[in-house]
Amino acid sequence: TASSFSQQAKFNLQLKNTTIKDVLDELKSQSDYQFFYSNDDFDVSRRVDVDLNNASIENVLEQILGDMDVSYKIVDKSVIISKSDVVWSFDQQQQQIVSVSGTVSDATGQPLPGVTVVEKGTTNGTITDFDGNYILKNISGASTLIFSFVGMENIEMPLDGRSQIDVVMQEQTIGLEEVVAIGYGVQRKEEVTGSVSSVDAEQMKEIPAANVSQALQGRVSGVQMTQTSSKPGASMQIRIRGTRSLNASNDPLIVLDGIPFAGSINDISPSDIKTLEILKDASATAIYGSRGANGVIIITTNKGKMGQKATVTYDSYVGLKTLFSKYPMMGSSDFIKLREYAGLYSNGSDESDDVSTDWQDLLFKNSMVTSHDVGVSGGTETGNYSFGIGYYKDEALVPEQNYTRFSIRSSLDQRIGDHVKVGFSTNSNYSITNGSDFSLYNTLATTPITDPYNEDGSLKTRVNVAGIDDMYSYTREGIKSLGDAWVNKSLAFGSYNTIYGELAIPGVEGLKYRLNIGLNFRTTNDGDYTGEGVFNSSESAASVATIGNSLTTNWAVENLVTYDRVFNNKHNFNFVGLYSAEQTHYHSSVVSATGIPSDQFQFYNLGQATDEITIDPDQQGYYEAGLKSLMARAMYSYNGKYMLSLAVRSDWSSRLSPSNNNHTYPAVSAGWNIGEENFMGNLKAVDRLKLRVGYGQTSNQSVDPYSTLGLLSSSPYNYGSQYVTGYYVSELANDNLGWEYSETYNVGLDFGLANSRITGTMEYYIQKTKDILFDVSLPSTSGVESYTANIGRSQNKGFELSLNGVIMEDHNGWTWDAGINIYANRNKLTGLASGVERDESNWWFVGHPIDVVYDYKKIGIWNEGDANMSVLEPNGQAGDIKVEYTGDYNEDGTPTRQINTDDRQIIDLEPTFQGGFSTRVAYKNVDLSVVGDFKSGGKLISTLYSSNGYLNMLTGRRNNVDVDYWTESNTDAKYPKPGGTLAGDNPKYGSTLGYFDASYLKVRTITLGYNFSRDGWLKDAGINKLRLYFTVQNPFVLFSPYNKESGGDPETNSYGDENQAVSTSYAKRLLVIGTNSPSTRNFLFGINLTF
Amino acid sequence: CSDILDETPRATFTPEYFKTQEGAEGGLTYLYSNLRYMFGNGYFLNAYETGTDEYTYGFSADEQFKAMDFSGAGVLTSANSNTSITWEYAFKSINTANGIIQYGTDAGVSDALIAEAKFFRAFNYFLLVQTFGGVPLDLGSGELAFNTSPSRTSVRNTVAEVYTTAIFPDLLDAIDNLPDEGRATGTATTTLARLFLAKAYLTYAWWLENPNNIATYPVVDSRTDPDGQSASWYFQEAYNVAVTAIDNPGPFSLQTSFYQVHVGSNDRHSEMLLYADHTEDSEYYDGSSHSYNSGSAPGNFAAWFPNWNYSGNLTSYTSSGSALISTQREEAQPYGRPWSRMSTPIGVFEETFADKTYDSRYDGTFNTVFRGNWQKNSSYSGSDYDVLYNANDLPVVMGDPVLTFLGEDSSDITYPSSSSDDKSGMGAGTLPGRADWVVGPSAISRFAWPTLWKLGPYVSTHEQDGGLGSPNSGITRPFPIAKLSELYLVAAEAAVKGASGTYSAVDLVNVLRARAGVWTYSNSDASDVSVDYSSEMIANTPSSITIDYILAERSREFFGEGYRWLDLVRTQKWGELAGEFDICSDASKENAHVHDRETYSRTISEQDYLRPIPSSQIDGLEMSDTEKEAYQNPGY
Repeated sequence: TASSFSQQAKFNLQLKNTTIKDVLDELKSQSDYQFFYSNDDFDVSRRVDVDLNNASIENVLEQILGDMDVSYKIVDKSVIISKSDVVWSFDQQQQQIVSVSGTVSDATGQPLPGVTVVEKGTTNGTITDFDGNYILKNISGASTLIFSFVGMENIEMPLDGRSQIDVVMQEQTIGLEEVVAIGYGVQRKEEVTGSVSSVDAEQMKEIPAANVSQALQGRVSGVQMTQTSSKPGASMQIRIRGTRSLNASNDPLIVLDGIPFAGSINDISPSDIKTLEILKDASATAIYGSRGANGVIIITTNKGKMGQKATVTYDSYVGLKTLFSKYPMMGSSDFIKLREYAGLYSNGSDESDDVSTDWQDLLFKNSMVTSHDVGVSGGTETGNYSFGIGYYKDEALVPEQNYTRFSIRSSLDQRIGDHVKVGFSTNSNYSITNGSDFSLYNTLATTPITDPYNEDGSLKTRVNVAGIDDMYSYTREGIKSLGDAWVNKSLAFGSYNTIYGELAIPGVEGLKYRLNIGLNFRTTNDGDYTGEGVFNSSESAASVATIGNSLTTNWAVENLVTYDRVFNNKHNFNFVGLYSAEQTHYHSSVVSATGIPSDQFQFYNLGQATDEITIDPDQQGYYEAGLKSLMARAMYSYNGKYMLSLAVRSDWSSRLSPSNNNHTYPAVSAGWNIGEENFMGNLKAVDRLKLRVGYGQTSNQSVDPYSTLGLLSSSPYNYGSQYVTGYYVSELANDNLGWEYSETYNVGLDFGLANSRITGTMEYYIQKTKDILFDVSLPSTSGVESYTANIGRSQNKGFELSLNGVIMEDHNGWTWDAGINIYANRNKLTGLASGVERDESNWWFVGHPIDVVYDYKKIGIWNEGDANMSVLEPNGQAGDIKVEYTGDYNEDGTPTRQINTDDRQIIDLEPTFQGGFSTRVAYKNVDLSVVGDFKSGGKLISTLYSSNGYLNMLTGRRNNVDVDYWTESNTDAKYPKPGGTLAGDNPKYGSTLGYFDASYLKVRTITLGYNFSRDGWLKDAGINKLRLYFTVQNPFVLFSPYNKESGGDPETNSYGDENQAVSTSYAKRLLVIGTNSPSTRNFLFGINLTF
Repeated sequence: CSDILDETPRATFTPEYFKTQEGAEGGLTYLYSNLRYMFGNGYFLNAYETGTDEYTYGFSADEQFKAMDFSGAGVLTSANSNTSITWEYAFKSINTANGIIQYGTDAGVSDALIAEAKFFRAFNYFLLVQTFGGVPLDLGSGELAFNTSPSRTSVRNTVAEVYTTAIFPDLLDAIDNLPDEGRATGTATTTLARLFLAKAYLTYAWWLENPNNIATYPVVDSRTDPDGQSASWYFQEAYNVAVTAIDNPGPFSLQTSFYQVHVGSNDRHSEMLLYADHTEDSEYYDGSSHSYNSGSAPGNFAAWFPNWNYSGNLTSYTSSGSALISTQREEAQPYGRPWSRMSTPIGVFEETFADKTYDSRYDGTFNTVFRGNWQKNSSYSGSDYDVLYNANDLPVVMGDPVLTFLGEDSSDITYPSSSSDDKSGMGAGTLPGRADWVVGPSAISRFAWPTLWKLGPYVSTHEQDGGLGSPNSGITRPFPIAKLSELYLVAAEAAVKGASGTYSAVDLVNVLRARAGVWTYSNSDASDVSVDYSSEMIANTPSSITIDYILAERSREFFGEGYRWLDLVRTQKWGELAGEFDICSDASKENAHVHDRETYSRTISEQDYLRPIPSSQIDGLEMSDTEKEAYQNPGY
């Protein structure tokens, strides 16, 4: 037996001035003995002399341990050295030798292969087989088994005389051991010093979402998701800790499986996501350098586990989309009153006061959303794999507008030998977007007294409104009947691939070299066709077809050296060095043609066009942009208490001028786990407390390539029948264009209270951005429109709080968790071009946020007899909009002048605070989750109500939003007198009618789920997990003044230059509510299945 | 791998391209295409027509038109003045011309092409200096230099500096080097440069003379010429240059009749010296959609603005009594898209065009007869719609007059007494026995007035199509900017101001008046005619020509083409000739039957003779508030 072998072993040792550790190593090399001891118990580096021949192990140990206060035990081949006062259980009990067997599975019931099962205190152990089974023989009946597996919490199970022990292992959940991705590595959460928010992907997955941005909405403090379009397939605008740049991008960097992501966030299926981390402050993002200036979202997709049996998951939902609310247009009787009162227009040839048409009813129809994802993952002894396919389809309530996505992904990690690991992950998808050019304007603007039908009951194609406007008539039936005569299709294919190889340098523990290669490809192919007269007020308008395509390729190479080692159990040291290069290539072309001879050609052969084929030089695109970087980061933590991180990065960008294209920036952060200090020991309520401080610089270079070179724009012309193209300088060159950079200071406090039943994070930050990259518009007298320069400074200050609480933890079967986050960001422009305080043409003002409106301020409606009306509005009349006068007054109290452009004011759009909340209540197998978000203060722009929309003209020319307007008998109305003083086609100062208090509280989803118990028929069918759920998306809105007035969704649905009749008033960055696809309330039924 | 940091644009040009021959030629093409942003732009037309004796604001006018009118309905400001278009586009053209002139010779560009650039630099400075007073000659890189340095400051030169440093030398050089015949259709020629030099001399002479003592800006101590010449010297030079051009017109000649000057089928004819060209064969090169233009340049949409909404309510009846619009919106020269922004005061019909018998220019300027075209709309193509019932319930068929603006008032006209009695739908009256609705001159209102035929749309294929065309398309005709005929009136004006030579003012005026007596077509009858009233026209010319008479002739010759405000400002006659006008003010369709002629007066102060520097310019300047205030013209 092994035991007899060990007792027979004899040693010959002649060692002088040798450490105890080396003596033990020598013993180990001469025998099968294993030595177990703790460095804390005695000084292993103590030097001793040994001179023994043919000595037993006991003789050797006696000699080297000598007078130290330690004792040893020899059990089988194990030698345990410990302090003398340790009492060994096996000394006290009779050692009854038994064997034990059982099955290990995970929480979903999946058997876990590869789990280590060890008899506690011994080296006697085994691992589970592919079915999760184990047998352990020759162990003491009084012993305890330890089950351990990577990513799972260890389980200790006393035998208590049993011979069969089945255990269910739980994944390591939120807690001290949680590991988070921090960019080029992972870190234990307790050691993180930067501002990093993790999102529980599992919980996120319980609630269906179309894309990552939607799934994250309201989840993370400091991360603002804003809807830019209500069309299917639209993603949201993401802003992490506010806006800092004026013209350069404010979008965060997305890192997918370790490599900067070159595609659209829509290209990632939410169900593929395994973990998601958001780096918010510069000390965390600095390692991504210029690309991380606006924050970083790190997404890791699902992977298999080593030794895992093949597992199949199926996640699916189908849903009914219904109208959240109609656009608030007038009905027929209200409209007749309005037109009559305004007295400007009379009925056109298709209008009649006895007609009542709801054009929205004729267009909208409930629609469907569908999602299916199937995944397979598993592992072998030395590798793991996963692959999956997905399908998603979302239809709008307006006809022929929809989005479909097919996705496929796979990943593989494989060990080769002891030192090499290789792998790849690939995500590809193909999406089809239809009907995104569909316009809602005519539906809303056509008057309700317009008869859509001819006398024979057929639909009219065009209608005459007010005798002035011939409008194309939009009805679902009419659009369906267009057949080939209208198509608007956009196809996109993207493939995002990461390949890596990792070499653990032999002989140097903790040193690794890793090569990451990212290869990305995205292509879009758009085709539009509008047949003769379709959607046009003129039936002879020529047919038009357009094709467009683009290709983006991107490569990235990262060379990484990492050194990660723990010394003496206390000194945790990590170093990363990086050299990387990446380049993006893009080109695009657009061709259009008029006079397509037959609808069936659509856009498929522009060569058949009988009229003109156009290739507009201003619509063809090309660029190549490159970035080179060097980065080093060192992290050190002492005993889990004190942490320090230092990083420095240097970037070279092709987009900036050669003389200024390099920037180097440092970042430093430190953390102190106060909760680990002894003096906190008696504060029982606080079980975690960590203080973090960080400082870092990042930079931004994301201006359009070739901005330094200046630009000519083209201008076509004809000399009679000779066609020529002219050129003029639209942008001047700038040889000095350099980096925009930001400095961030961050202080954070993480805490856990009452046994971590309450956990939370508080953060405060200041971020200052300098040398902002800015497309400076030049005064006309320059003869040139603009140039790109480093001009201006901005600042963001903010406070973030997130709290998570376990209100009930398995209390009589009840579990109740709740989380809330609140944040406030104060954005401010602190400087523009030298000496300039105001840029009125761009609506940028020093001392105010970047996003403001510069307009008059409506303070009411003029009434007969109001003071100063004749001075302020000499051409005005009662019932006109009254705006605030900001000028001087004469001694008699009268204003010195009439209202003019000097009375425009800066109107801040920024909310006072905003945030999100979620809660989950579970009773046994049933769970109910609610997720929502809220916003307080700030301004919302609705172009439905402002003059830009041409839907609140109050002239009776077209249909009007249903508003409470001024009349002689309704003098305290909010809206002006129909047919009062006009500016253009709208009431004077009509733009002021579009500003609303932006506050709201919105419940985004309510989900009721049922998890089937894993016994009975489920087990028989081989199913490990089955969950069914029902979700309502967008159920209701509270506390929203806009919702109260319009019944509508207070979320923006358009960029500032879209979906309104006049789209030149607001910059694109100012999101608005316009005439986009209507907001929906969805009812979803879903299933999650694992087997 | 430092090469990933190198930049090679492959889809766009950088300003360096201007240093090549092809680049310079591309720049030259831009100088022409830039014209489209002003000429053919309805808002630009508004800026130079509304507020004169030719136009006031119309039924659908907004603040931009009311402000330009000075009749109390609005106030002109630096934010709402449509002259911002001039300011915005002229400097782009000037800078491009600077580049061609600066780099052209080295790049191997011919002197003739450089002369085209000089013409355009002068042309744009001339338009600026007339509209705003003195303007900057230095755009950022030095006087008359191509701008390569982004500058957000600006200094205005004086009026005299702009003329003598930029306009005159450039035009003199252009005359020397331009070809007699354009290198391509519609490009600059010696004759064109002569017209503008003559006009610039004339305008500058008026400025030096300053008969009504109107202030200039930037302020000068006294109006002296840096070259030491007098006003009369410049009047004489204007005369000399114009007469040289008249005597040596190159390939240019006057058209036989006034009708031929403006009929769409004859565009780009021998009388046209400069126009902003357009084409019906290419939307891209035309710069506009040919199905729907939202009213934006570079499309040509100017003619929509002085167009009343004939297609809105003008009604006839079917035999069953249901109403239908008998003159539909049509893409044809008498019609076009009606935006109803600028209407014509009654005085135009009673005074300017008092002679409607001999002088063909009334008939060749306006469309006064609106004819049935309803069956061109496929909805009404059936035989049920072959005959409609119109005024006096008399039948009309396709092509018959439905509504006529009469040349003279008549006491026999019966106008509707109330809204419900208004069967025409737009307040028109009836004459016994006539099937068409009629409106006398004194019933012309902001609601209804004759449309501006001369600028109306024309598409060569329209007649064959048989439909209504695409009336919402941008107009595909060239927009006229300069004509040979103007040389006669420039020389005549100089002669009135004392210049002398081969021809007297009467001689010069009579050339155009005699031509105006030649009728080759009658718009009101929609038929060819061949009558020559030249001798009657000459006989009616007064023996002594005054500035007022020159101005009236200019209005008859160039009505509605954007000359008027500049003419009245040059001669300092704006307040005198346009200070009052008559029109019936119909506030709405509901009271279209009311024809109450009203007299409106305009308040035109001397500061109004310069338009405001646009607020966008002032906003974009990096200068102190005091400097900015000084940059703005007085009164704004």
